[in-house]
Amino acid sequence: MTALSDVSFSVRPGEVLGLIGPNGSGKTTLFECLGGVLPLDAGSLVHEGRPMSDRARASTLFYLPDAIVPWPAQTVRWAIDFTLGFFNGRHHLREEVVDRLDIHPLLDATIGSLSKGQRKRALLAIGLLMPQPLLLADEPFDGLDLRQSRDVAQTLRSYASAGRTMFLSIHQIKDAARVCDRFVLLSGGSIRGEGTLDELASLAATRGASPTGDLEEVFLALT
Amino acid sequence: MRSPEPSGGNAKHANAAKQDQVFVFAGFAGLAFKPFVWLLRKEYRELVASRAWWVLLVAMGPLVGVTFISAVRTYGEASGLNGTAIGVGEAFSPLVGIWAPTFSACEVAAVFLLPFVAIRLVSGDRQSGALRIEMQHPMPAVARITAKAIVLLGGWLVASLAPLAAVALWKSYGGSVFAPELMTVAFGHVLNAGLTIALASAAAAVTEHPSTAAILTLSVTVGTWILNFVAAVQGGIWERVAGYTPPAMIAQFQHGLIRLDVVLIALALVAAGLAGAAIWLRLGVAVHRRVQESFALAACAVLVIIAASAVSPSWDLSENRMNSFPEPDERALASIRAPLGIEVHLAPEDPRRADLDRKAIAKLRRVMPAVHVRYVSATSIGLFEQSAPHYGEIWYELGGKKEMSRATTAESALETIYDLAGVTPPVENEDEMFRGHPLAVAPKGAAAVFYAIWPAAIVVGAFFIRRAHI
Repeated sequence: MTALSDVSFSVRPGEVLGLIGPNGSGKTTLFECLGGVLPLDAGSLVHEGRPMSDRARASTLFYLPDAIVPWPAQTVRWAIDFTLGFFNGRHHLREEVVDRLDIHPLLDATIGSLSKGQRKRALLAIGLLMPQPLLLADEPFDGLDLRQSRDVAQTLRSYASAGRTMFLSIHQIKDAARVCDRFVLLSGGSIRGEGTLDELASLAATRGASPTGDLEEVFLALT
Repeated sequence: MRSPEPSGGNAKHANAAKQDQVFVFAGFAGLAFKPFVWLLRKEYRELVASRAWWVLLVAMGPLVGVTFISAVRTYGEASGLNGTAIGVGEAFSPLVGIWAPTFSACEVAAVFLLPFVAIRLVSGDRQSGALRIEMQHPMPAVARITAKAIVLLGGWLVASLAPLAAVALWKSYGGSVFAPELMTVAFGHVLNAGLTIALASAAAAVTEHPSTAAILTLSVTVGTWILNFVAAVQGGIWERVAGYTPPAMIAQFQHGLIRLDVVLIALALVAAGLAGAAIWLRLGVAVHRRVQESFALAACAVLVIIAASAVSPSWDLSENRMNSFPEPDERALASIRAPLGIEVHLAPEDPRRADLDRKAIAKLRRVMPAVHVRYVSATSIGLFEQSAPHYGEIWYELGGKKEMSRATTAESALETIYDLAGVTPPVENEDEMFRGHPLAVAPKGAAAVFYAIWPAAIVVGAFFIRRAHI
């Protein structure tokens, strides 16, 4: 079975790129391949015109998986300290990230005891504190309520505007529309479109979609 | 991101370049070392958080208690009140009487408890998803598995405090402690723990689920038992291979014998197990490539093991020299340069063969430069061969001369060899004879230490240490 084929797209520095696609379209597989935690049969990552080595990849991007409960017996505080120390992360942002994601009350709780949304915020904090310039986050809004989703989206956007590049896998179209600058549409293991909402709307219009500029309509037309 | 380089003269540039180099070097060294320290700290915390380890610690008390109390009682009964040990010195050696049975608790724990601690530590990361985060660090997988192995070995050493408590109790009873033989036994069990850790780590890395890893680990352990059984029945190459299984290896250490080939092979197996685990923890590498690497690793390990099996140095660290002939005999035997051939007409399961192996052949191999042993038997048990014309004969061949004996004692073997070599048997030195250390005492306080104080201390320790870390 081929999970992904003919997948080619680009990520631009400082942007928030959204990977959207229906369930089973291969979003997580793509992220795992990019993050180096799943083997690639073929293909390569190219940075500034040159294929990236494993070491270069490790220093360029950090992949934050979805649905994981890492170090369940350890506290959030320790997990943050550990990842900061282990990856030599952005120590200077520690307090700021903890504040912005509102995880102060969770710092002394064990990761295994957190709810899905709390865990997601704790892991996002870890992702934001990592030193790599590109953050790949799988389903960053999964498990968050509406208010938290908005806050997290705002936080991600603010770090992107400060120069951090974000590549987010999102299955909720509304969340994607709120936070992303550009989109990569993935369906059936292949890319169905890449660009800004306007660019994708134009592409969808060529396939008979109404030119409303609504991401949901575009998504349905292209996938 | 780097700030723009300040402008300046050539000297300033050279200085900056030099500083950069120093920074890069220091940064590289720091980066290579610091993450490993973080990983060690993390593995330590994971071990402390693991209930499996605390269960192992609690269980060590009663396990050691049962074996130690029983050994001291038996030793005391055999010693008798004011008994002398002349002529039965070996029976009153604490090595055989106390340390071998007491430390056998470590063997039980290493087989049935330690694998679960190791599997928990290795599989836990995979199950929780932590591995997918940690493996994004460019650190080699070997370093990651080494960190786990170091912490697991540390955890095992903490568990080994239970037999050390037995040593302290034995001392308090007035018992004799000969440090070299005690260290040998302890070293054998540490090596065995290393083998268990490596095997369990490899199993946990290869399999998707901890329960599968546990089954795989126990299957390998049972496999070594089967190998020992086959060796006992079939003899030959099986016997040689079985000599390197953990139970056989431990038996040698328990007799105060350190064989370099055994140590090297055990270390090779530990390294191979950990390297195998490292290969399979690289989830980002295609499975077919990991399989190829595993075969290459296995081939390398086999080559190293074959090479190590040819290494002959060994050291008898037992106080009663139970693995050696008396020193005058060893000197006399070492002076015989001609190869010694021994043809043994005894079946593998015949107890006389084991007797001959242990009392004479193993000791001969340690001192003579070339000993070639050939076993001849038509059956494995020898029961129906007793009436066969040559059954029971032991032929010694040296310098073109042959002589037959039916006795399986060391004395008989030495007498025959001296006769063939034309060497005058050395005079036995009565003063150097091991007289034993009889001790007729009851294991006072041992039950309280191992059945109450030890488990209670572990439970209290678990409460406070876990609370401090979590």
